[in-house]
Amino acid sequence: MEKLLESEGKVLRHDRTVRIIHWLIALSCFVLVFSGFGQMPVYKRYMITDLPGLTWTADYFITLKMHYVAAVILVFASFWHVVYHGIRRDNGLVPRKGDFGESVRIMKAIITGGQEPPSDKYLAEQRLAYVFMAGTIAVLILTGIIKTVKSMGFVLPEGLVFWSTQLHNLGAALIVFGIVAHLGAFIVPANLKLLGSMFHGKVDLEYVKHRHSIWYEKLKRRSR
Amino acid sequence: MDKISRRSFFRRTVAAGAAGAVIMAKGAASANGAAGQPMATVIDLTRCDGCANQNTPLCVAACQSKNRSRFPEPVKPIMDYWPRKGFEDWSDKKGLRDRLTPYNWLYVQKVTVDGKTVYAPRRCMHCDEPTCAYLCPFGVIAKNGDGSVVIDPDGCFGGAKCRDVCPWGVPMRQAGVGLYLKLAPKLGGGGVMYKCDMCHDLVKQGKNPACVTACPQGAMTFGDRSAMKQLAEARSKEIGGYVYGASENGGTSTFYVSPVSFAAIDRALKEQKVVDGKPGRSGMPLKVENKVDQLDGWATGVLLAPVAAVFAAGRAAYKSLASEKNAGDDSDKGGES
Ligand code: HEM
Ligand code: SF4
Ligand code: SF4
Repeated sequence: MEKLLESEGKVLRHDRTVRIIHWLIALSCFVLVFSGFGQMPVYKRYMITDLPGLTWTADYFITLKMHYVAAVILVFASFWHVVYHGIRRDNGLVPRKGDFGESVRIMKAIITGGQEPPSDKYLAEQRLAYVFMAGTIAVLILTGIIKTVKSMGFVLPEGLVFWSTQLHNLGAALIVFGIVAHLGAFIVPANLKLLGSMFHGKVDLEYVKHRHSIWYEKLKRRSR
Repeated sequence: MDKISRRSFFRRTVAAGAAGAVIMAKGAASANGAAGQPMATVIDLTRCDGCANQNTPLCVAACQSKNRSRFPEPVKPIMDYWPRKGFEDWSDKKGLRDRLTPYNWLYVQKVTVDGKTVYAPRRCMHCDEPTCAYLCPFGVIAKNGDGSVVIDPDGCFGGAKCRDVCPWGVPMRQAGVGLYLKLAPKLGGGGVMYKCDMCHDLVKQGKNPACVTACPQGAMTFGDRSAMKQLAEARSKEIGGYVYGASENGGTSTFYVSPVSFAAIDRALKEQKVVDGKPGRSGMPLKVENKVDQLDGWATGVLLAPVAAVFAAGRAAYKSLASEKNAGDDSDKGGES
């Protein structure tokens, strides 16, 4: 659970459970992207198979197995995330009214070096990015499950298979975009301060006071 | 074996439901194929003589004339499959009748086994669990209720994955046609894949496939899948022979019956270079496992993961809430994650 660690000059931002789930999702998505693209006949065509150690990428059944194994992890972690935070009523990442305008103001401040509006635990753009990622993963899981059922030998309506496949491919493209944007966010120095929190859980107290002042007030009230 | 019957049970249950719906929607349907019941072909190698006194076996000729209007007409010049050099083009070899090509969806193999000449008409087997259709990355290969496996030429990109995952390398690629030309023909896509479609249109009308009708020896019999399977087994017993296609790749809709073993035929096909290692000619390998089938365990894992996650997460959430309460945190609740 998040809390102020004033003696250390830190704030615990992500507890261990949250960190584990984050990395399970990230890692499985990485494997899913790689093995998913293996399901498209691209590695042979574009000579990835000629690279040392990557000959196996031509074997659809190897990449399909990887895809299934990673899918088990992603599906587990995603359902876990929704159910766990749903029961706890954790809503920090749920977008709020005015998030669009606020994220524009934050971006402007970052570019011009001006004053950012005060933020809660998450910035407005993080809440919007979360909806994008969660929505895309939901589409991938749903269409992926339909594809899985099809490949288990159930005869599904042709249209359902066709559209699931198309949406699955679209979802794959969107998640790649999402991952690139997610990593790209750390080019901004202010955001870099958050990076460590996904490893050891903590961020600097000073940083929180300054940038996430709404959250800081909440934490202070709670620790009293 | 167990596994196959479980899977075909699913399939039949769903197919039977679908067939019922079709009959209700269309009123009376004449033959079973028209009603979307699984159909199959028995190919009796004791009867086929390769149409020895014809230039082209009549089944092959019938397949040609039935499907000629659907053969590809590539736009030239055709581009290389960047970054590779070259492309698959059969358009100046339209006359080939001794292998599968985009312009020839059925051919007859001739091979000598123990002094006996065997002729085997070869085409798509119309698998019960078509690896080609399961793994098409664009979802444009349909497995129909009548058992036919059909590639949609308008949606195919020609990546040839279906050929690579088919145990017999059946679908054949023609470059310079299809959807990829409209997108980035230099960078992606390779044409359209072609193969036998079991004359799905004729079967829908309650008719037999063109090759079956054309055979003067009655070497091919088309009908209800279960009846055809029985027929193949009965005929095989009668001649003390062998059946091929009933269990290969998890079962197919094509049952070959032969007086000599398929192991011997497969060996002879390779020794006599009928199978030359190039696309469009394949042997009759035994014990063809369905490689998608083998991943069913992991697929089941995918379907069970949500259930496991709901229980585990529910428990963890209540525990964490309880421990927060115990810690005397009675101000506003958890807040955010
Ligand atoms: C980050 C998440 C994911 C990405 C980027 C991704 C990407 C892809 C891509 C590009 C393909 C190849 C195109 C195709 O065959 O349609 C594919 C295939 C497939 N995906 Fe995913 N995928 C993801 C998640 C999932 C999940 C969660 C599941 C299962 C619940 C799943 C199941 C499948 C299956 C079964 C296939 C292909 C083989 C088949 O059609 O049976 N995928 N994926
Ligand atoms: S069933 Fe039809 S498409 Fe298939 S080989 Fe026979 S004639 Fe050709
Ligand atoms: S024989 Fe090959 S092309 Fe035909 S249905 Fe089976 S896997 Fe597909």
